[in-house]
Amino acid sequence: MRDDPHVIALVTGASGGNQDARHELVDRYAPLVYTICTRYRPSNHDIEDVGQNVWLLLVEQLGKLREPAALPGWLATTTARECLRVVTAMSKAGRLGTGLDDSVLFVADTMIDEEILVAERNTVIHAELGIPVDSIGPVGSIGPQRARCLERLRRSDVLAALAEGEEKIDIRGGERGA
Amino acid sequence: MVRDWDDDRLLAALGQALKAREAVPEWFIETGKSAFAWHNIDAELAQLTYDSELDRRAVAVLRSETASIRALTFTSAHLTLELEVTGNSLLGQALPPRAGELEIQTKAGVVSTTEVDEIGCFSVDPIPDCPFRLRCRTADGTDVLTGWITI
Repeated sequence: MRDDPHVIALVTGASGGNQDARHELVDRYAPLVYTICTRYRPSNHDIEDVGQNVWLLLVEQLGKLREPAALPGWLATTTARECLRVVTAMSKAGRLGTGLDDSVLFVADTMIDEEILVAERNTVIHAELGIPVDSIGPVGSIGPQRARCLERLRRSDVLAALAEGEEKIDIRGGERGA
Repeated sequence: MVRDWDDDRLLAALGQALKAREAVPEWFIETGKSAFAWHNIDAELAQLTYDSELDRRAVAVLRSETASIRALTFTSAHLTLELEVTGNSLLGQALPPRAGELEIQTKAGVVSTTEVDEIGCFSVDPIPDCPFRLRCRTADGTDVLTGWITI
């Protein structure tokens, strides 16, 4: 991610007002933002609000993001903060049956680092293969198309750099192959 | 190194990437994109810098009594909006004080506008029962938009 020229171009474009770049940022990072949202168990309505706030805040902050590598981390912490705000407001308004569940907040906090790494890897995989990735067929079948995809991932410098970082950090529950 | 990963490990990573994307509802991506339509580059986005609700939670272990008034502060480089919920209305002040106009926006668009008096005070009554945001334009040309507010 650190040296991914495409991400640098996206950040520059989006902060300069380029609508396509902004939309692509949403496409790329929506799974990260969405996954973190679901940790806090808000309603769909609240997830929508959180999402909108996060993207708007992002546009404001893009100019200040010197390193695109900081983008996933920034998105994750901003999403968590916005979720906390919404969930707290809900709890106060009595829209939640029970009070704010501290264990939910704790789990959410500790999940974030791992979530960022996995989401970054997912994003890179999607970007390497191009969208739509769905066209490669169901997972489990090995066809020529799929073999090409795997070869492409193997040759990806960005994915290689990311995986190296992951191995150093030692993700809980991650598979250890090769 | 990824180069040394076998097919199974790569497929597992690929499957995980596919699943993460499939879990995201289409509407989430669409509202994300349409959020930019709201973004007026002339308006500064004011960030939530204080929320009594979060503060109360943080100090709950230290104090037994709790404040009954919900207070929020939105801050941008040129203007701060201080808000207080009293009953079913929202009282606010733009700081530094100056006159202007306040728009109340919901997802449906601009629902109403209200005057900001010369000492920066305004009221929103009733408080919208859905998420809303405030856009404050002052006589000297300052234009500030808050994040979404849920009371």
